[in-house]
Amino acid sequence: MITLTLREQPPVPLEAEALSPDVMAALAHDAIRALPVYLGKRQQRVDDLFEVAGEASDELEIRGDAAKVKWIGRGMTRGRISIVGNAGMHLGAYMKGGTIEVSGNVSDWLGAEMSGGFIRVRGNAGGQVGAAYRGSLSGMQDGTILIGGSAGLEVGMRMKRGTIVVGGLARDFAGLQMKGGTIVLRGGAELRTGAWMVRGTIVSLTPIRLLPTFSYASTYNPTFLRLYARHLGTLGFAIPHEDREGAYRRYTGDSAVPGKGEILVWKPAGA
Amino acid sequence: MLRITGGKVHDPANGIDGVVRDVCIADGRIVARAEGGRTIDASGMVVLPGGVDIHTHVAGAALNFARGMTPENFRRAVPFLRTPERRAGLGGITPTTFATGYLYAGMGWTTVNEAAVPILSARHTHEELRDIPIVDKTTCVLMANNEIVLDLLEAGELERAKHVVAWLIWAAKAYGVKAVNPGGIVAWKWGRNANTLSAPVEGYSKVTPATIISSLAGIIDELRLPHPLHIHGNNLGVPGNVSTTIETMKVLEGRRAHLAHLQFHAYGGDDWGSMRSEAAALAEQFNARKDLTADAGAVLFGDALTITADGPWQHLLYQLTGRKWGNVDVENETGCGIVPYVYKGSSLVNAVQWAAGLELLLLVEDPWRIFLTTDHPNGGCFWRYPELIRLLMSADHRRECLKQLPAKALKRIVLPELDRQYTRSEIAIITSAGPARALGLPQKGHLGVGADADVALYDEGRDGGLEFAYPRYVIKGGEIVVEEGEIRAVSEGREFIVRPSFDEQIEEYLRPLFQKVYTMSFDNYPVEMERLARPDVQACG
Amino acid sequence: MQRGGVRIGDSFAEAFDMRASRAVITARSRSWALTAAQAMTGFATSVIGCKVEAGIEAELAPEGTPDGRPGVSVLMFGFDAEGLGKRLLERVGQTILTCPTTACFDGLPQGGERVAVGGLLRHFGDRYQSSKRLDGRRYWRIPVMEGEFLVEESFGVQKAIGGGNFLILAEDQDAALGAAEAAAGVMRGIGGVVLPFPGGIVRSGSKVGARNYKKMTASTNDAYCPTLRGRTGVTTALPEGVNSVLEIVVDGLDRGAIEKALRLGIEAACRPGVVEITAGNYGGKLGKHLFHLHALLSE
Repeated sequence: MITLTLREQPPVPLEAEALSPDVMAALAHDAIRALPVYLGKRQQRVDDLFEVAGEASDELEIRGDAAKVKWIGRGMTRGRISIVGNAGMHLGAYMKGGTIEVSGNVSDWLGAEMSGGFIRVRGNAGGQVGAAYRGSLSGMQDGTILIGGSAGLEVGMRMKRGTIVVGGLARDFAGLQMKGGTIVLRGGAELRTGAWMVRGTIVSLTPIRLLPTFSYASTYNPTFLRLYARHLGTLGFAIPHEDREGAYRRYTGDSAVPGKGEILVWKPAGA
Repeated sequence: MLRITGGKVHDPANGIDGVVRDVCIADGRIVARAEGGRTIDASGMVVLPGGVDIHTHVAGAALNFARGMTPENFRRAVPFLRTPERRAGLGGITPTTFATGYLYAGMGWTTVNEAAVPILSARHTHEELRDIPIVDKTTCVLMANNEIVLDLLEAGELERAKHVVAWLIWAAKAYGVKAVNPGGIVAWKWGRNANTLSAPVEGYSKVTPATIISSLAGIIDELRLPHPLHIHGNNLGVPGNVSTTIETMKVLEGRRAHLAHLQFHAYGGDDWGSMRSEAAALAEQFNARKDLTADAGAVLFGDALTITADGPWQHLLYQLTGRKWGNVDVENETGCGIVPYVYKGSSLVNAVQWAAGLELLLLVEDPWRIFLTTDHPNGGCFWRYPELIRLLMSADHRRECLKQLPAKALKRIVLPELDRQYTRSEIAIITSAGPARALGLPQKGHLGVGADADVALYDEGRDGGLEFAYPRYVIKGGEIVVEEGEIRAVSEGREFIVRPSFDEQIEEYLRPLFQKVYTMSFDNYPVEMERLARPDVQACG
Repeated sequence: MQRGGVRIGDSFAEAFDMRASRAVITARSRSWALTAAQAMTGFATSVIGCKVEAGIEAELAPEGTPDGRPGVSVLMFGFDAEGLGKRLLERVGQTILTCPTTACFDGLPQGGERVAVGGLLRHFGDRYQSSKRLDGRRYWRIPVMEGEFLVEESFGVQKAIGGGNFLILAEDQDAALGAAEAAAGVMRGIGGVVLPFPGGIVRSGSKVGARNYKKMTASTNDAYCPTLRGRTGVTTALPEGVNSVLEIVVDGLDRGAIEKALRLGIEAACRPGVVEITAGNYGGKLGKHLFHLHALLSE
């Protein structure tokens, strides 16, 4: 295991693509310390900002308030990053495999355009979780992102495949232009959920405001959700799915596109 | 002072075809003799005049709109980091301004013609051209859908139209005149097009695309502009459009003209399913009409970005791709459409297009009349020209590439039957000497005494076109700008413009008309000379 | 060799290379899962006449199925993956898709070959279908009047063995049937095997071709028909005292499963009233997999 302890929060953002198992796995201790990071526009060494322990491992632990450290785990394909503290923007962007766990909060663009791998954030996330960068055709192409707390704007924007779960409140435009995949909103959402949705599924465990271009279809417990309930259940997120507990109201949309997406809103029995 | 010794010189304009001789440079020009200064030992290298790109889109409002539309391309583009010699920039499909200059010079090209400038935003174009280092520039200003001009043609006022055109050229500080889809962009303002050369244009009863073409060509010949009318014909890109192209050539009978990106106008068939290349038939007609020049507008497989003033065509392409589309209207003058596009070897249509461009280059007999371009960024990026050169110089390489095409495509093209291989001198003609002559720039495209000292050196040892991928040295205006792959010096290029003669009184006609139809004030319309970097007025006539 | 007073013939069963797939069918209740599975595995006794051999392998508790509902696993056997694919498509399409509350999953995710099932059935959705990918597996959701039919896109196919068997030679029909029912009962519970014939038992064991009709592919195995003892032209293989013979046929995913099934089945069949246990073969000339009875029971 390689442990990197941030001595203090940098005064300006730190761009740290080098903090990735793919980069560090084969490197000796001194080589890790010498890896480049960018403090604003100046190139520095990892050990200018971090205490470094360990070497040649595909397990990284990052300690400290890295809220201003960007691009951790960028494009990683394997291994594990544990962040004890917060992390900055673009965490796990373009990720293809491996695992990232964060005990604190993260900033915008978590897992942007990722195509595989697993990210879990105990705290809150920013906006554009698993989203497409501006101009790109698609957001995340596969993988799993679990957020214990809240998330910002445009969660899963233009995502194509994969699963995002948000424990707390999601802000406007969750699932904007979604092309596939599944978003589970456990703590509600603000406005315009599923706007311009083409395909994919948004599951909301609480009532949310829907656009007029979504039409009610039916109320049921879809069988496929039981697969997700089992999968996410092992990860600590329960999704109701039994007839005796209630059922989902299915809304189809976004007819403005026209889209073949769905929003499933949980309705407890007796409600 | 610079001497290039021991290199094999290809200077087709002066009849020198691979002869080892010295090239001497002083004060930015080729001279007979030079004492002192640096000597480049060019043994084992070939020496060619710097490349001249007669049709490209590298600067201006439309291109900048395209840059803004495609941020994802910049994320993938080659970055140019700032150095003491060099400004920062991004390459990719629509390179930023500084990068454009470095990329052209890095390839051995030293002059470029920005082929489509709306007068209304010419100021913007000149400012971006100013920021493109090293290369010299010319511009062609859009005229064939200018409603002030068309109204005069409708009224039969050809003489006045001539003065207006001349005034507009000078207001825009342009070098030449561009016609794009004559009448079609006017029609696009009504959501329509101009598909028939002999049919009146939307909103007019007498003006047809044919009258616009012949009138403008005539006016330009009368104004004695160094470069003839530069035409992007009607029905670009549409299966069966070869008949429109041949008809356009008939309309131009007796006049000079330059036909832009001819490949996109060389199609047979009735629809996308039956589309085929008619480059062979077109080349035959073109060979016979000696007053015409053309540039290939060849397609290369991979990412591209279509950006033309041809609004209706761009809208059709958007409907075919279903992805991004930008459309800009330029009041009273023209328009612009932008659609990112990918040419795929597996697509039957794209395979036909790829073959058609090469067929034109191989079947047009006179290399002085057909020039190497991709209509950057429409058919492919300019920094991929060496790939085209290789395809022209090596029949074996062409055959390898043909193997990748879908079998169905082979029945729609004649490329497999063509064995011709371009020689180095012929390449020098289609990339430099020919376009320079067609542009009417006597100081460009050759290495005779008095020419601008724009020189490119390549390895003689590589062949089949591979040598053109890596110039050893590039000299611009007598200064070594590229040496062994590194940018050594960054000069500011010149901009060539013309001042055709017109009656000053024409402003009395234009001013009230302008105030009536334009949102811009008449006094703000003409571009100030100060906006141009090193303007160089060329003579008319 | 004897077992429980029954002679074990020194013979062998001759079985064949086949391919197998497994479908996991879940439903709202155990009884609906069984109804669907029984419909799917009906008319699937022999590849010769039915194009496929199939049977119910096991019932599955809710905790053991992909969607946490009661389920049944079904095995299907055919000559090749392509043929199996077609049969799966037909049977899932006509008996599972049509049956209320069911879902259908691939039970051989590690199978060396794969065939499209949901990937083809999805067209029934008339473009209103949608898919989900989870954990590397893809599922199709086909909108139906009842709600949604969930079916996995592709099913794994693996090498398997078909035609394991033994013959129960008994004193009378009653004794033969009692022994056969006992055998089928214990064999049914073994994982990796199915008994494709009705109740697991064949009353009409056959021989290849026919002696007296030119074009038949199979005909009654006259050597084992009790009523043909002594008939001109028939050489009986039956010992004295045998008046009724029943055959158990078993298909399995691998040799081990078939050996276990045969051994337990034979032991269960060795009861009073049974004279001899033997097995059917073609002289070892046709099938790759031979199961010697003495070797089986000696382990």
